[in-house]
Amino acid sequence: MRNIGLLALNVIKDTARRKLFYVVFIFGLAVLALSPLLPSFELGAKAQFLRDISLSMTSLFGIALAVILSVNQLPGEVEKKTIYNILSKPVSRLQYLLGKYLGILATLAIILFIMGVEILVLIYVRLHVFSPLIFQGVFAVFLECAVIAAFCLFMSTFATVPVNVFATMMFYLVCHVKTGFLHDKLVGKSVGVVKVILWPLYYVIPNLEDFNISLQVGYGGGVSWAYLLRVSGYAILFASIFLILAYLLFRRKDL
Amino acid sequence: MKRESTPLEGEHPEDATVVLQNIKKSYRTGFSQQRKVAVEDVSLQVRRGEIFGLLGPNGAGKTTTLKILLGLVFPDSGSGRLLGKPLGDRLSHRKLGFLPEQTYFYGFLTAGKALDLYGKLFGLSHDELVSRSAKLLDLVGLRHDSHLTLDKYSKGMLQRFGIAQALLNDPELVIMDEPSSGLDPVGQKEVRDILVGLKADGKTIFLSSHQLSEVENICDSVSIVNLGRTVREGKLSELLEVEGATRITLAGGGPRVRERLGPLARRIDEQEGETILDVESHATYRVLDAARELGVALVSVQPYRQSLESLFMEAIRESSD
Repeated sequence: MRNIGLLALNVIKDTARRKLFYVVFIFGLAVLALSPLLPSFELGAKAQFLRDISLSMTSLFGIALAVILSVNQLPGEVEKKTIYNILSKPVSRLQYLLGKYLGILATLAIILFIMGVEILVLIYVRLHVFSPLIFQGVFAVFLECAVIAAFCLFMSTFATVPVNVFATMMFYLVCHVKTGFLHDKLVGKSVGVVKVILWPLYYVIPNLEDFNISLQVGYGGGVSWAYLLRVSGYAILFASIFLILAYLLFRRKDL
Repeated sequence: MKRESTPLEGEHPEDATVVLQNIKKSYRTGFSQQRKVAVEDVSLQVRRGEIFGLLGPNGAGKTTTLKILLGLVFPDSGSGRLLGKPLGDRLSHRKLGFLPEQTYFYGFLTAGKALDLYGKLFGLSHDELVSRSAKLLDLVGLRHDSHLTLDKYSKGMLQRFGIAQALLNDPELVIMDEPSSGLDPVGQKEVRDILVGLKADGKTIFLSSHQLSEVENICDSVSIVNLGRTVREGKLSELLEVEGATRITLAGGGPRVRERLGPLARRIDEQEGETILDVESHATYRVLDAARELGVALVSVQPYRQSLESLFMEAIRESSD
């Protein structure tokens, strides 16, 4: 457990060196730039709109960051050969993989939390509305990022960086249209060769729309704790599946 | 191809720290995924407390052999043990120190922080880590540069840092890939002294090196690999000894000595007032008698040893034919 923590901490330090934490400033500026564009609704509606749009932006930044952080963790260390000196120590490949993943999660958690605070402060300063509910949305974004990062890490055990980025983008898109487009095409009443071949896909891919609660947080009273607990379990399940697959491929991989 | 010494055949001494037996490894390469053999048949044995050198030209299979030892690459066939455990066993790595080729460190960490990370991965306590780090940074002459990030280090400094981190856990076995790489002659001498000191402390050292003079100076045993095969393996003193040849050194020389003794020797040479003759062992007494008749004093008689360079070149030439 200690080794996993040490390796996770190293990922955070590396992220700091790569100045990826600066993304929170860019995010802050982007949210700030939105303020003058607010439609001339009444105060409450403005706050709702700002919450919704800021959360959507958080999701966009978070997913991009999850991919940037995960895509090159393994290939980068293999290419620079820094992995040799780590695995020659009493560190198992499972510890190495989990350390990397937890480091990515911790980095995402820090950055997303700061983004949440930025939204909270901005809405308060601009509209004098206190919206702590925003953190429900940020947490859901974090869960989605955790699934994306696990998928990306799994892909990185065998795919090149460009292939991995493309595959992760496809994964993100497909998992977001699961209940809409995919449902109609694969589970609906129409019959076809594509449906026969691809229908199992519908049941095995996660539904990432479950993590999109920007409307509920923006315009409603958020989601229930039971819902958050359910999607947390959902994220843990899929992240675990991808990490197990990653380990199975990485366990005997020649470096 | 021949093997001068074959300690693995039918012999498994308990004091072997590293054993590799008939290791074979190939990789799939290119679009067609054709298999390229990196290691065809490598066997070696490193005894406890010795300095062992793995030699071979570029592409001979040294790096793959080293990676197999460290559990970074998995052999297709063959077997091996490291510190009594199967290859890749995490427990054996607790007693293992590894000096990689330089630049294999996190450049964003300072030397102090990097030692901290590596030491903690070995499970060292804070106190152990502090005292060992200070001692090792002193040993390699980096104490005053430990606050610099490793990406600011020169090649020689990185090599010194590498040695420090390899010794952090007070290892039983140290595996070193080109330990003198990037060091100036003074640095190379210091590294040699460190290795000899480690041996005196009872450590086993496995080094892969291109520097034949370094290996000849400090190694007890060597293994020469070429084209993925072990072509020579054994104790260096035995490998360098030329069977049936003796070296006679006489005080003085001149044309008279050369004329009389030259025909009796394989080779005759004069150096700093001494005559050196390499002769067939059975001709030793004839040469000594002739020297006495000439009134030339005897300095020494010893088994003739070839240089490691000539052994290496011969082994490579024979195995490449």
